[in-house]
Amino acid sequence: MEIALQSLRIILEPSHFLMLISGVLLGLAIGILPGLGGIVGMTILLPVIYGMDPHDAFALLIGMVAVIPTSDTFPSVMMGIPGSSGSQATIMDGYPLAKKGQAARALSAAFTASLFGGLFGAAVLTAVIPIARPIVLSFGSPELFMLALLGMSMVGVLSGNRPIKGVLAGGLGLMIGALGAAPALPEYRYYFGIDYLMDGIPLVIIGLGLFAFPEIIDLLIKGKAISEAPTLGKGWLQGVKDAISHKLIILRCSVIGVIVGFLPGLGGTVVDWISYGHVIQTTRDRENFGKGDIRGVLAPESSNNAKEGGGLIPTLLFGIPGSGSMAVFLGGLLILGIQPGPSMVSEDIGLLYTAIWSLALANVFGAGLCIMLSKPITRLTIIPFTYIAPFMILILTLASYQATRSWGDLIALLIMGILGWVMKQYGWPRPAALIGYVLSDNLETYLFISVQRYGIAWITRKGVIILALIIAISMVLSILWKTKKKPTTKLVYDSDKQAS
Amino acid sequence: MSKKMLVIGIALFIILSIGMAPTVHGVDFSKKTIKWIIPFKVGGGSDVWSRLYAPFFRKYLPGHPAVVIKNMPGGGSIIGGNYFDRKVKANGLTVFGSSGSTTFPYLLGVREVKYDFSRYYLVFASPFGGVAYINPKFGAKSVQDLKGFKEKLAYASQGATSLDIVPLLAFEMLGLDVKAVFGYKGRGAGRVAFEQGEADIDYQTSSAYIKNVRPLIKQGAAIPLMTWGVLDEKNKVVRDPMEPDLPCFPEAYEMIHGKRPSGQAWEAWKAFFTAGFAVQKGMWLPEKTKKDIVETYRTAAAKIIADPEFKVVVQKSLGGYKQLPGEQGRKAFEQVLKVPPESKVWLYGWLKDRYDVTVK
Repeated sequence: MEIALQSLRIILEPSHFLMLISGVLLGLAIGILPGLGGIVGMTILLPVIYGMDPHDAFALLIGMVAVIPTSDTFPSVMMGIPGSSGSQATIMDGYPLAKKGQAARALSAAFTASLFGGLFGAAVLTAVIPIARPIVLSFGSPELFMLALLGMSMVGVLSGNRPIKGVLAGGLGLMIGALGAAPALPEYRYYFGIDYLMDGIPLVIIGLGLFAFPEIIDLLIKGKAISEAPTLGKGWLQGVKDAISHKLIILRCSVIGVIVGFLPGLGGTVVDWISYGHVIQTTRDRENFGKGDIRGVLAPESSNNAKEGGGLIPTLLFGIPGSGSMAVFLGGLLILGIQPGPSMVSEDIGLLYTAIWSLALANVFGAGLCIMLSKPITRLTIIPFTYIAPFMILILTLASYQATRSWGDLIALLIMGILGWVMKQYGWPRPAALIGYVLSDNLETYLFISVQRYGIAWITRKGVIILALIIAISMVLSILWKTKKKPTTKLVYDSDKQAS
Repeated sequence: MSKKMLVIGIALFIILSIGMAPTVHGVDFSKKTIKWIIPFKVGGGSDVWSRLYAPFFRKYLPGHPAVVIKNMPGGGSIIGGNYFDRKVKANGLTVFGSSGSTTFPYLLGVREVKYDFSRYYLVFASPFGGVAYINPKFGAKSVQDLKGFKEKLAYASQGATSLDIVPLLAFEMLGLDVKAVFGYKGRGAGRVAFEQGEADIDYQTSSAYIKNVRPLIKQGAAIPLMTWGVLDEKNKVVRDPMEPDLPCFPEAYEMIHGKRPSGQAWEAWKAFFTAGFAVQKGMWLPEKTKKDIVETYRTAAAKIIADPEFKVVVQKSLGGYKQLPGEQGRKAFEQVLKVPPESKVWLYGWLKDRYDVTVK
């Protein structure tokens, strides 16, 4: 406790505090720019931290990474373009809300959820440190495979009334994920002698291609502003109220976020989809999801901020990064001369608390700044899109080019974009394809390891059986709770009236 | 008074500039930017290594050029290596950083590899060490107890053509029955697998070993076996100064078999050990680089390595190993370039038999 307070004092000193704020500002900027995420932010900061005091560097890096999932909500809600990979699911309901002229409400609900999720992540990080090691160690490869399978089972709920198309789209995602270097064998698959395909297609390109590109095309075809309602509405307080009245959803999804971030190898990129799927699965009146249900915004936004707290655990205690940005953070630790490991909780405990405080404070400032920024930014939704489109296409292209900085990125973006547009036109669920793509590597790797190591006996492990039951129960429940399809009306539902 | 000062000042300036000129050899990088290609992702081991060196190259190269790292990941570093071979001009403004994962496919003769280290100039090289350890449940207290050991051991591996060739071949030569489980992403994942009991035998690079495995040894959850060793001036494998109480691999071999290691397997092991550990990372200038540029770089590298400030960096972040400037690095790397062809053939056979991997 004393050490924790001492770390707080250190971080509140002007020089450290300045670092934290710089990190937060950079993180907010990166989050707002579509397609750029924590990896890019870390890459920008890595050359800067050389020779820096570790407490300063921690404040800067963690401040940056903590707020990306807060500000990346802007493009997701307002334009239907993922701000970073953590807020793809926010599009599903946030964007329809913006179309109805309720962008303000969606944003304030999202920031409130983000704030709670982030603080929850920091709190869990503090509480779990003494028992983190045995928990992480209890998840072997077979259990991690089952967790990936649990993620895959979300494909069903995310496909709504088109289960067959959903499964096929998920399969397509798995196949795209299989391009390039095989995870466990020294082989390159389906790369057709093209250097670019040796490492497969990067996640950024899949995300932007499947979600951003089709949206831009459709908006241009319509030639109107994003918001179909003429006014922005005054939903600020409404959004906060929404968040408060659905506090249990936020809590559950924060827990999911921490767990997914916490487990090494699962990666944070699907956490928004998992929590989004979870909310649909556990809700009876679900016909409004995808059409602007505020719960569909709260769920992903609380979990994606919470995952950053969870993600620090394997990175700092085991030296195994839980996500792409944590992998770069790990490099930063080595540049600072810090070797992660069990000593983080003994010798370097001060640093660990600096990390926790940075995380908590950054979330508070991030959410605060986002709320202040949102009034001017939401005005974008009433500008005719033809003025915004060239700028968006430029940013999209730049962000994609960041992935590997080769021409292949742009070609891949075009191909994925066309694929995404076709899928949208014909009602193929794109989230299913994305989940398949993201999880394909985990599914293959962990199954491969499980079978090599344990033979068929991996199925009989306790953890595997428990997870199999969870998957079965959640699938059965989601089928049982599926309400009969009502005749669709053109009326705009006010979803939170139904919920309360 | 002030006039006198001015005269003295000018005189000093002239003397100094005359005095300085010859050491520059006409190579001057002022206002230039040096691009250092790293064929790996940002934040990886090689990236960190280059970023630790980069500011010191700025300090010691004549003209204090900006040194920027250009990450060019892909194909397990083959893409960056090929780019370096085909596209880079020999003007001293672009250098390349290689790692064991770059050297291994070259040594194995992988089809996609277009680069050839025998044609480039090594500026300096950095060694890294590894320590192997085993789960105590098998009862072995040291590597000596592994003589005639029959139980099957699982090892968490990144792949049969990765750096894991060195530990896997070492275990094989000691007569251990080790089953490599492929698919783990890096040594950190391998260590977690060991702690979970998913792997029975493992190795870590020295710095990770010190922070993460020594606590396990204290708790009685791991038994240290051996280090891979380091190369001395005569290219002989000797004990690792980071863990001098442990035998190095050739000693371990002698403890078990009663004789020094020799033959095809040993030659192959030594080549891959050199490429993967003893000169794991290196900075290269392209073919046809002018001699004075090469010398300028090598001199800068020697100065960096002697810099007390950099010694702290080596201690804290590079495992504490003696860095090898210019000629020293080149001599050590010869082990990699001069692998007897029959040793390579032997290794191909071994990879095919054991792991069903065909590289050539």
